[in-house]
Amino acid sequence: MKPLRDYYHLTKMQFLALRGAFVIISVVNVGFIAGFVYGFGFLFGDVSEATALYITVGSATNALIVGGLVMLPQFLAQAKADGRLDYIRSLPVSREAYLLANITVIAGIVMPGIALALVAGWMRYGISFDISPLVLVVIPLAALSCAGFGVAVAILSPKMQLTNAITQLFIFYAIFVSPVMMPEDNLPSALQAISKLLPPGYAADAMRATLTDLPNTHLGQSLIAMVAFTVLSLAAASTVVRRRG
Amino acid sequence: MSVLEVKDVVKRYRNGTLANDGISLSLEPGEVYGLLGPNGAGKTTLVGQLLGLLKPTSGGILVNGVNVVKDPGYARKSIAFLPQTQVSMDDIHVDELIHTVARLRGLSRKAARARTEELIDALQLEEFRHTAMSATSGGARRLASFATAVVAPANLIVLDEPTNDVDPVRRKLLWNMVAEFGRQGSAVLLVTHNLAEAERFIHRLAIIDHGRIVSEGSPASLRTVVTDKLKLELTTLNGLVPHPALAPEPGSENRYLFSQSALPAVSEWLAAQRDAGDVIDFRIGPPSLDDIYQAVVTAGTPSLSEAKSEVVA
Repeated sequence: MKPLRDYYHLTKMQFLALRGAFVIISVVNVGFIAGFVYGFGFLFGDVSEATALYITVGSATNALIVGGLVMLPQFLAQAKADGRLDYIRSLPVSREAYLLANITVIAGIVMPGIALALVAGWMRYGISFDISPLVLVVIPLAALSCAGFGVAVAILSPKMQLTNAITQLFIFYAIFVSPVMMPEDNLPSALQAISKLLPPGYAADAMRATLTDLPNTHLGQSLIAMVAFTVLSLAAASTVVRRRG
Repeated sequence: MSVLEVKDVVKRYRNGTLANDGISLSLEPGEVYGLLGPNGAGKTTLVGQLLGLLKPTSGGILVNGVNVVKDPGYARKSIAFLPQTQVSMDDIHVDELIHTVARLRGLSRKAARARTEELIDALQLEEFRHTAMSATSGGARRLASFATAVVAPANLIVLDEPTNDVDPVRRKLLWNMVAEFGRQGSAVLLVTHNLAEAERFIHRLAIIDHGRIVSEGSPASLRTVVTDKLKLELTTLNGLVPHPALAPEPGSENRYLFSQSALPAVSEWLAAQRDAGDVIDFRIGPPSLDDIYQAVVTAGTPSLSEAKSEVVA
């Protein structure tokens, strides 16, 4: 099937294009995520098991958020700025395959961060996890819902500098004012309302539901929201990338 | 049937800029067609519409008889395209890029490998084969991009400034390939400023300015724009007052146009100046495509107005 073949060749092309930086970016990303797990404990002094789980699973979710909402839009903004996106658009290939190829490459970079976050949590806080097989559905869906949102931001943003500024804001949002590293109840109602409109909160909730026995998770609701974010944002990105100026 | 038929294409951007203002042209099989014009004339906009990256405000574009305004996917399948901007692919090696694009353009693994080798050989890219695109020189990167454009057979090839940064030896290889594509029956649309080189391969050309075609024809027929004129290039010792028959070429200090009927008088004057030691060297010949191009797009000079009115007529 042509779109699948396109996806394979484009993914390979993206990996080859990144081969010099791939390991370095992965290592930095893993260090970044493990650093969250290790460092956040100092903010709290005595860390309860529940807090340790929030920090650890929240950091693992942050690996996906950084990939989807920071790295991916920056990659695409760069491709837009240096003419690569137009070059790919001039080839007889599926544009959706190109977007998915980018998502795959970023996933390859950030996935080790998820595993390392859990290992770092176990080593730092001595916590254990309650892992459900559903996590294998949750991780790709969490990645895709953030990635879809990130692609839409990159494609819709008129300038690379604006894309980069917005992505920096996403990191701040995910760490400090969203229910990713902390319980939703800790946030004021306005921030709770905002978190309903963005994918990170749902991704973190689903990760907690499938990796821990923490209470107050809403797996079904989060799965539906992540599917909706994935479908809507990828459909929007696909429409925009197909649009002729 | 024409390979490409552009019918009265108008493109007005959302900000109001009129980039193409009623452009019509057609390319026949085997024809190498030059599209010339100053920066901002509307060439890249036109190419973007051929490829389906932009949608015309009005007008039609047919590739092999298929309306590509309605079916932009057909255009991308049928057109081999080299963009003006350098294709940047970071660490991918030159041979990997050519091979991958061949696969994306539908070649089998075996055919892609064979064609990659053929192009590396033909464009003398062997020494860059395993070099990352980002680490190659501008010229080698341009040639690798050219290779990706022509890696699969296409009956319409669109090349936007193919020889930018390319050294003279490899430039010749590239032009020979372009001429060969024409001989094999492909139509080639060539967007270039490098008229001196392209002139030998172009069958027809259009000069585009302010979104309109201001002149179109074969290089020979366009020369008739200034057909009764000859060009004199003069190297003098201290500068001198030119013969009254010599009209300075716009934008040049040592080139002049003059009427063929004035040739005896000008020759006599040149001989006298040379004997006096004022003229070091001179050349007389027909105007080049460059001269025609400059005459057509340079505004506000007597020779231009003359040239333009003749072309339009």
